[in-house]
Amino acid sequence: MGDRKRRIELGLLYSRSGGYSLISEASRAGALAAMAAVNGDPALDLSFVPVERDPGGNADAYGTHCDDILRNSSARHVIGCVTSWSRKEVIPVLERHGGTLWYPLPYEGFEASDHVVYTHACPNQHLLPLLDWAMPAHGRRAYLTGSNYIWGWEMNRLAREYVTAAGGEILGERYLPLGSRDIGRMVEEIRHARPDFVLNNLVGTSTYEFLEAMHRLAEDDPAFAASRCPILSCNLTEAEFPALKYAADGLIAAGPYFRGAAGWPGSDGFASSHEAAAFAAVRELARMLNGRPGAEDLPLGTLLRQSPAGVIDAATHHTCLPVLIARVEGGAFRTVKALPAVAGDPYLTRPRPALAAPDLRVVS
Amino acid sequence: MKRHALRIQNLGGAKAVILHRPHPVVQALERQLLAIGLEVRQAWPDLGPEALGADFVFFDADMGHDEQFPWPAGASPMPMIALIGSEAPGRIEWALRAGAHAQLLKPVGDNGAYSALLIARDAFDVQRSLSVEIADLRRRLDERQTVVRAVTVLAARAGKDDAAAYDQLRQMAMAWRISFEEAAARVVARGTDRQDDGDDRRNRR
Repeated sequence: MGDRKRRIELGLLYSRSGGYSLISEASRAGALAAMAAVNGDPALDLSFVPVERDPGGNADAYGTHCDDILRNSSARHVIGCVTSWSRKEVIPVLERHGGTLWYPLPYEGFEASDHVVYTHACPNQHLLPLLDWAMPAHGRRAYLTGSNYIWGWEMNRLAREYVTAAGGEILGERYLPLGSRDIGRMVEEIRHARPDFVLNNLVGTSTYEFLEAMHRLAEDDPAFAASRCPILSCNLTEAEFPALKYAADGLIAAGPYFRGAAGWPGSDGFASSHEAAAFAAVRELARMLNGRPGAEDLPLGTLLRQSPAGVIDAATHHTCLPVLIARVEGGAFRTVKALPAVAGDPYLTRPRPALAAPDLRVVS
Repeated sequence: MKRHALRIQNLGGAKAVILHRPHPVVQALERQLLAIGLEVRQAWPDLGPEALGADFVFFDADMGHDEQFPWPAGASPMPMIALIGSEAPGRIEWALRAGAHAQLLKPVGDNGAYSALLIARDAFDVQRSLSVEIADLRRRLDERQTVVRAVTVLAARAGKDDAAAYDQLRQMAMAWRISFEEAAARVVARGTDRQDDGDDRRNRR
């Protein structure tokens, strides 16, 4: 049976070095695990062969490497990219070649490319439920941090609008270039502003440095203890624990999956949602290609129209995901709130589930 | 000018009409609009009266002409986005005159519709609020004559100078809770009446 399988090349576009390589490696591991599962599955008539390129954490190299995959191999589907910056570099290349990117990372929304499938969460699946939980629990005075590109800017713009509309206040907002360790100024601002919570949209190296400094601040001043002034994020997973060590304790994150959570299709033991979402992407691709020789060369729109309905929304190319809010306790995420699965709504134009009764506690 | 915020964008369920002959441009644009969450209808060769219920109109600038629209050129009741293929000055001039608030270049590909929607609506809103403001200013300008007459009436009646009469008129407007110009019109109307009364009395004496 094994040699009867169609061999289909599948592009892998992950940075194995650079400031956010822990995330890349987790996502890549999920993709490779799914490829191994597909290749060993006798019920599927195909096997995947990786065609791998490593942009080395340089956003400008993604377009070239993706072009290389689509030009010099038979792969039409590519899985990868971590930052939105790199994804946006890749989209024009996909358009040119009729290729498809499977993007399995959380992002800031406001995109629905005809050439991209989004299998991780967007703001109605991470940021908005996270703020809905945080404001009644901790207060409405927020400080915003972010890396200096579209993810940080757009996430914080959304948060600012959402918090202000809820009667809250943004006490400060500060950005750092990707990879920067220069966190002194923002920590000092937070120390003086004394917010009710911090929304952290930094990425990679900057986030490690920032969380370490915030941990030290909390040790000096109990007003910044995790129970009093939590640090929230929408992109933190177990994959980055090795870089954070003790500084991870008390952090709050929103995500579709945390290690050990039930209900994620395909396996029962992913190490993080990065792994889980990449795994789900590759499995879904295999399902759509199974038994249909030549389908691997179709553009995404046609492939979706011709496949039995799966997990991908035909209009938005996003998926329906559970919403978990969890706190790091003793080196693992512990769920503090679980919401039913909700469809990705990248432009925030679809009705949202009704919020719980507004919290009437006076926040002084 | 106040901008629409995140959840007040009202794009979800908004109605868009694409005035274009059947063409891949329509499909590509429709895909984008459906992904954003709009309802989409295609129309050709005319918009038809149901277009009056649309929230956005995309129109073909290449083959378009004024008779396709159920409103006078430049007076659309909603934001309009020109679909421009040939960037010829004559066609761009026509699209502008037709009332384009934003444009999208053909061939339409993977993106562009979202920014065109937001830019068109902002331009439309700005244009509309400016028109209202200009109409108001124009009306007030037209009523300058009335104000001058009202001040003269008040000054004559109480033997005040113009500045004091002007001040009195302002206080009357505030007391009556109407605009300065409306108060002036009232004073002029009454002033004329009273003058008539006075004349009568004077005649009787």
